[in-house]
Amino acid sequence: MKSFLVSASLAASLLLLSSCNPSGDDPKTGGAKKPKIAYVTNGVDPFWDLCAGGVRHAEKALGIECEVHMPNKGLVDQQRILETLLAKGISGIAVSPIDADNQTAFLNDAAKQTKLITQDADAPKSARLCYIGTDNYKAGRALGKLVKEALPGGGEVMIFVGRLEQLNARQRRQGVIDELLDRPSQSATDVKFDPVAGAIKGERFTVLDTRTDDFDKARAKSNAEDAMTKHENLACMVGLFAYNPPACLDAVKEAGKTGKIKICGFDEQDAALAGIKEGTVHGTISQQPWKYGYESVRVLKQILDGDKQAVPENRFLEIPFLVVTKANIDEFWAEKRRMEALGKQP
Amino acid sequence: MKKNILGIMALFAVVFLFTALKNDSFLNAYNLQNLIKWSCLYGLIGLGVSFVIITGGIDLSIGSVIGLVASLLALLLSKGRDPSTCIALVLALSAGIGLMHGLLITKVKLQPFVVTLCGLLFYRGIARYITDNQSMGFSGHDTLDSIFSGKVAVSSQFALPAPFFYLVVVAVVAALFLNRTVWGRYLFALGNNETAARYSGIDTDSLKILAYVACSLLTGLAGVLFAFELNSVQPASTGEFYELYTIAAAVLGGCSLRGGEGSVLGVIIAAAVIRLLYNSINMLGISTHLEYAIIGAVILAGVTVDELVKRYAAARRTRQQAE
Repeated sequence: MKSFLVSASLAASLLLLSSCNPSGDDPKTGGAKKPKIAYVTNGVDPFWDLCAGGVRHAEKALGIECEVHMPNKGLVDQQRILETLLAKGISGIAVSPIDADNQTAFLNDAAKQTKLITQDADAPKSARLCYIGTDNYKAGRALGKLVKEALPGGGEVMIFVGRLEQLNARQRRQGVIDELLDRPSQSATDVKFDPVAGAIKGERFTVLDTRTDDFDKARAKSNAEDAMTKHENLACMVGLFAYNPPACLDAVKEAGKTGKIKICGFDEQDAALAGIKEGTVHGTISQQPWKYGYESVRVLKQILDGDKQAVPENRFLEIPFLVVTKANIDEFWAEKRRMEALGKQP
Repeated sequence: MKKNILGIMALFAVVFLFTALKNDSFLNAYNLQNLIKWSCLYGLIGLGVSFVIITGGIDLSIGSVIGLVASLLALLLSKGRDPSTCIALVLALSAGIGLMHGLLITKVKLQPFVVTLCGLLFYRGIARYITDNQSMGFSGHDTLDSIFSGKVAVSSQFALPAPFFYLVVVAVVAALFLNRTVWGRYLFALGNNETAARYSGIDTDSLKILAYVACSLLTGLAGVLFAFELNSVQPASTGEFYELYTIAAAVLGGCSLRGGEGSVLGVIIAAAVIRLLYNSINMLGISTHLEYAIIGAVILAGVTVDELVKRYAAARRTRQQAE
């Protein structure tokens, strides 16, 4: 037993030694090596494949080598990936931190060793060089405008979302409500939220309720069904997460209320895009995920090239959202397909 | 066993009547159809896991098997394969998964918890890998759609959803098997005391394997039904955590986690109670954040009252016998 342990630990240390620095480069010097950028997501999701498409697009267009990492076991996995990248002497990292507040110390440490930016989600207290993201409150207001377009005479509206614990969900919801009630615009950094329970009445529009489904698609659909049963005069369903508009569409179609109940939503699932094309979904707000990928690479490359103008003064680079309706569905869908294919490349 | 059914039936009746009194639309045909549909879908997997729980085992892989079956089915259909072959293939795969669970548990003597927990991880990973983790749909398969998520009109107002018929057939077969065949009685005996059952000459291993095959096969069937009901599959999330709903339904419906007890009707009603609670919360317009709290509280209250009534009845019986 003892000899087995000794030989096993010997073998393990040999393995460690040989894997430590296969190329023999000193990670500290780095300068002689070709710069390389890493794009690190917060998990595995089709959304991130679209972002990866943008990274691959930028890689070719800007001529810089990139790698994409999707941690599939949460915070610990993300930390492990980042540590490995730092050990390899990566030139720049764009990361979507999973738990910004508790990762701040680690991110500060990383920022000392490489060019670090955040994307999709920010870690405002850390020493990241800049944050690339969408203003979800503004995007919510744009969604509210879509609803107004779908229901020029006003009416009863119901909101469906996966979870309201996420800041982006709350900001989107509040944007929709403020727009429908014709309230003045709030600052994205300090949004006041309406309570979740109970109807919110405005002059033309009433937001009846907000229902959550915890990312369970069966519940997303049954919530939409229940809303149609409870509210006879329901005129529009608003889905805030990618799968919500398709779930609403499915329920509305089965109830034979196509056209009678309008559907507006967020993101770009194929079922929602098909709905826009056939006229059963009024429109959707896309964050254009591929722009997250592209812009992350572009900004990091500019920083690496020593461009002082690369980072805006407030350290926030806003990715504009896109309003997708029947008018621009074909070109948008083609772009999505192109990015999807690019994102699947290893 | 019978008393347990009475308790869960009473809970169902109370919540049903309360919601019907408070909300006029609750009893309309559309809502009842939806309630039946969802209850039957979850009831089907509840029945599956009941077999395993009766043997004293557990199956944690249910949600992942649903995810894998739905993803594989969508993938095969999108490649233009013959629909009936695809359905047969995914059902055979789920039966095969059950067989593997059963063999690992009886022959290799691994714990059911470990085997199916690893299954939970493994099948989810495979589902994500084979589909590149992309969402998929079922457009252009109208025949399959009407077979698995269509409706059969019983009057001009009311139509029964497809899952109802699948559940009725499965429930009748399961009830006959458990209560009217010697194998069913053996299954209960095995759950009560495996050693005693084996010494009485019962082939406990084969019975256990059969229970896991039945569980995974029913899960596979439910996976197909869910896929067509939702018309879309997310490999990473379809079916996630459904094992919890179904184990809860099985236990509420009279199965004991220690094995040896269970009732087909009880499990179906318990699955319906959980769906009814979700529906009632929406109908009554209770805050979405309170959902879990209400479901937890109502079920706990129901089970507590049930236990107290049983104890009171038992005490009265002892007193009467003493007199």
